[in-house]
Amino acid sequence: MLHLLMIISDVLIGIGAFFALIGVLGILFMPDVFSRMQASTCVTTLGIIGVCLGALLHAIFIVGSPSSAVKIALIGLLVLVTNPVGSHALARGAYRAGIRPEQPMEIDELGRDSQ
Amino acid sequence: MRKTKFPAVIATFIVCFAFWLLLTWTVDVQNLIAGTVVSLLAALFSARFFIHESAFWLANPLKFFVGLFYWVCVFPLDLIKSNLRMAALVLGGCKDVKPGIVKVPVSLKSEYGQTALANSITLTPGTITMDVAEQDGQTYFYVHCIEADRPGAEAGESIKGRMEKWIGRIWK
Amino acid sequence: MNQTDLIIFAVFFGALAVTCLIRLVAGPTGADRMVAADTADVLLCCAMLLFSIYSGRGIYLDIAIIGAMLGVVNTMLVGRFLAKGRREEHAASADDHQ
Repeated sequence: MLHLLMIISDVLIGIGAFFALIGVLGILFMPDVFSRMQASTCVTTLGIIGVCLGALLHAIFIVGSPSSAVKIALIGLLVLVTNPVGSHALARGAYRAGIRPEQPMEIDELGRDSQ
Repeated sequence: MRKTKFPAVIATFIVCFAFWLLLTWTVDVQNLIAGTVVSLLAALFSARFFIHESAFWLANPLKFFVGLFYWVCVFPLDLIKSNLRMAALVLGGCKDVKPGIVKVPVSLKSEYGQTALANSITLTPGTITMDVAEQDGQTYFYVHCIEADRPGAEAGESIKGRMEKWIGRIWK
Repeated sequence: MNQTDLIIFAVFFGALAVTCLIRLVAGPTGADRMVAADTADVLLCCAMLLFSIYSGRGIYLDIAIIGAMLGVVNTMLVGRFLAKGRREEHAASADDHQ
């Protein structure tokens, strides 16, 4: 039973690690700022959900400490709720600061409307 | 500057106090008194920034369970789908991205609903809400989309997907 | 109990956070650097969380919570700064024209 739980939590953490790797690769190789932001969203959604679920299983069933389980769940919730606000503010600030991709966007309705 | 309202202070105080209890994870008298004082101060100073409309929407159990069901059972499916799409894009060498900014009409009226919709759109990999505008009583989101092949309202339906309908059931 | 898998994953997340620093150094604009820093922050939170369970010390979890909170505040501050700074520059150049 304990081995099965350990395997499940390892698989969950592995899923999180895979999507974190995807996010970091996207940040390194995507062509412009906004696409990099999109790729970094991978880390903050499935990456952190996978890691927190796996660590939660570990903390509840294998280590058996409820206080650290609550803290892990809080970390996951905090990142999931607050991180979109940050990336929204950053995208808006980057666009207003005049940062544009090198290859012009084909559909740019914000640029069209703010003329 | 907005006025501080009493229900808003009470709601913020409850949230702060719950956070305090969860983070300290001990129940004794000193701890409870310190937590009450600190969260009351925090609520007095910050309630007017957080809550502008009805403060106790969570007290309606039907809405609470609809919200819980949506964010636990329905939304993760969309999240996994778009995460896999993003993984395919990145592993394919980041070549066939086609970024663009589309203007999406939004039919939700309340602040909570618009905030929740904007956060859900940003949380989905592949779309980021960049700006909000209001023209002739209709609210528009400017959404940066990594595969923008159609302009405006047509793309909006595929971006919003099921989110707007579900969030409209909670906040209108 | 054997918990070697946790420390392996923690080291993996730490290595990913270090890889983000490449973009932090190379990024052509400020927004690039901020995206890389934010992602490195979240990855370090993950690493600390796993290391806390591995070592059995709760203090790392508190550090991870504070890191997650302050990372978002940093990102929002830089975003607001980018938006504001440019507008004031516009106003200054408009004044020059008159």
